[in-house]
Amino acid sequence: MTQVVEIESRGGRAGTTLLEVDHVVMNYTTKEGDVSAVEDVTFDLKNGESLGLVGESGCGKTSMALSLLRLLPDNGEIRQGRILLDGEDLVELSEEAMRQRRWRDVSMVFQGAMNSWNPVYTVGDQIREALRLHWPTTLTYTEETERIAALFEMVGLNSAMIERYPHEFSGGMRQRAVIAMALSCNPKLIIADEPTTALDVIVQDQILKELKEVQAELGMSIIYISHDIAVIAEVTDRIGVMYAGKLVELGDTLEVFHRPRHPYAYLLLGSTPSITGPRRKLSPLEGEPPNLLDPPKGCRFHPRCPFASDRCKSEEPPMTDIGGGHEVACFHWEEVPEIRELSK
Amino acid sequence: MWKFIAKRVGQMIVLFYIFLALLFVLLDLQPGDISQQFVGNPDIPPEAKQLMIDQLGLDEPKHIQLFNHLKNYSTFNMGASWSQYPRDVSDILFSALPRTIYLFLTATILAYILGFWTGKIVAWKRNTATEKAVMGTSIFLWTVFYPWFAILMLWFFAAYLDWFPVGKFVTLNFESRPDLVNSISDVLFRTSGSEAASGWTSSAAPGANDVFMLLFTSLIVGTIAFFGIRWIVKRQVKDPTTQARLFTGGTVLVFGGFVLYWITNEYGPWAFDIFWHSVIPVMTLTLVSYAGTTLLTRTSMIETLKEDYILTARAKGVPDVTIRDRHSARNAMLPVTTSLVLALATVIGGGIITEQIFSWPGIGQTYLAALSSEDIPLTMGALALIGILALIAHLVADILYAYLDPRIRVQG
Repeated sequence: MTQVVEIESRGGRAGTTLLEVDHVVMNYTTKEGDVSAVEDVTFDLKNGESLGLVGESGCGKTSMALSLLRLLPDNGEIRQGRILLDGEDLVELSEEAMRQRRWRDVSMVFQGAMNSWNPVYTVGDQIREALRLHWPTTLTYTEETERIAALFEMVGLNSAMIERYPHEFSGGMRQRAVIAMALSCNPKLIIADEPTTALDVIVQDQILKELKEVQAELGMSIIYISHDIAVIAEVTDRIGVMYAGKLVELGDTLEVFHRPRHPYAYLLLGSTPSITGPRRKLSPLEGEPPNLLDPPKGCRFHPRCPFASDRCKSEEPPMTDIGGGHEVACFHWEEVPEIRELSK
Repeated sequence: MWKFIAKRVGQMIVLFYIFLALLFVLLDLQPGDISQQFVGNPDIPPEAKQLMIDQLGLDEPKHIQLFNHLKNYSTFNMGASWSQYPRDVSDILFSALPRTIYLFLTATILAYILGFWTGKIVAWKRNTATEKAVMGTSIFLWTVFYPWFAILMLWFFAAYLDWFPVGKFVTLNFESRPDLVNSISDVLFRTSGSEAASGWTSSAAPGANDVFMLLFTSLIVGTIAFFGIRWIVKRQVKDPTTQARLFTGGTVLVFGGFVLYWITNEYGPWAFDIFWHSVIPVMTLTLVSYAGTTLLTRTSMIETLKEDYILTARAKGVPDVTIRDRHSARNAMLPVTTSLVLALATVIGGGIITEQIFSWPGIGQTYLAALSSEDIPLTMGALALIGILALIAHLVADILYAYLDPRIRVQG
């Protein structure tokens, strides 16, 4: 019985590699042509680690997340690359084998706290469905209920809410319940796609703390996806910055946050006010992300980049390690000043 | 939930009285009303006229007349029919009502089950040849001129293939079974018995209604038992395997019981004959409303498939068929249910064409006959009945909705 209630992570020893994303290319086929939503993205994730992916809307963060679970719409296709989970390539798996991996190995916390629950079933029954699909042994109804109650307790929900419908939950409670559902099958990895976007700041903070505590206790890996770099910086070990389908900077959270080396990351941070840092003028990021039907030649950021040179227009900068595992895809990373220097 | 139903029933009663009052006013405003038809007729002697005025209370002021009208209807006293004097209006209507309900309820439930099933599959398999074929057929059936289509069906199945009888309600001769003869009704044969070929004569008539009522009641009991068992099992048994077993067991029990009952029943052949006569009308009605349900379900399904919770379900690793049936179709059912129940409300009143073409002696035919013979009490009664049915259909829609959608349930 205790085994049923035990909430844990089935991931390996902390520090060993769990996930390797290797040169993944993902395209959407549309009437106007192919949209390159994820272009040659490479990163890895260790057991127990948390990684953040940030970028503007439409830069491929969510497409990247959906690619990891192969949940792409019918017109989306992974053209190249490998996604290795514990050494097994998910891209090569059959649809049925992939279906069995979902939620059991990799679960998701969706942004739609409002809409990610089916309105006609109780929250308990929807978690129960995941257990029935993925729990290695067949559980009795009572055992399932016990486990759901334990999950509810873990995320700070009253277990009396199990029998309630989603519309009877507040926004924050729904998001907590989503986390409970994500934990239900003891996953190795949780992908949190904009987990706090629709919530007010106080609830947002609570939810992030909850996730952080859960991770500290259970030790699974988490990938956070958000447009808000400040939110992500609070909870992650490393940050990846995405722009127009490409990963342009990847490194230790503190380093990327305080000393971004890619002009895009630099300008993105420069456009966000800081409460604790020195007073400075905000510099808005001019222009819009490119149309991915026809991305710019060379570096995809060059039309908006103040550091751009002729080389940037023709040649694509590769990801280069600049020391300490901090990678940047820019020819001019050395010219990017410290954020402080933005202030007058 | 009970509070919710009680509130709705209360509203219904108020609405019904308003409807009755409106009916009274409308008929009173019509030319060719009671006073002109009889009281103004020079062929009727003055004493008879006076008697009539006294009996009908025509010398009372209008508001007293209205009050009497409402009072009489409250006790189901709808007066005597003029065209079929001295039969009571309520008697005529209540013998025609089950036949109409049988026809339309069967057709609607069949159309709903089949249409919903096709609709959800078509929505799931978009841009395939199957979808195109189903859509083409559905649009044809949905837009076809109904009377023409009904006649076409009659011609094809009854005349050309000669599988089913042409129209009517029953053919077997009840005379061969004098023990079945009783004197309940001859209304049935006023509309269907004029043709001698079937062997029906007015005197051979009685009994058909008995058989039909038994068939009707057993069908209703069977349906209620079927859904009742499912409902109770779903409530009480939580384990999915036991649930599935009990569902199957319940279905076998109800269906087997029904078949066994009719095989052993001495009315069996007559019941089967009535059933045989209903095949073409039920089929025609089913096809037409099946098309509508399919189209609506498809649209509704396509909408729900875009919802976030479908993505959640996919991320959860739920198999495709379960996503389709349990997550998407269950939500797509809501608008379909509304349309179904509201269609039912209008179809009972609007069944005139169907009942006329298939010589089916139900409310629609009764209403049409009453209208053309200026039988005011019967017209009033038929209209009131149609009103009640419409109100009941709305109540059923509300209850079904509350059952299907927990968001409505709570508001009470």
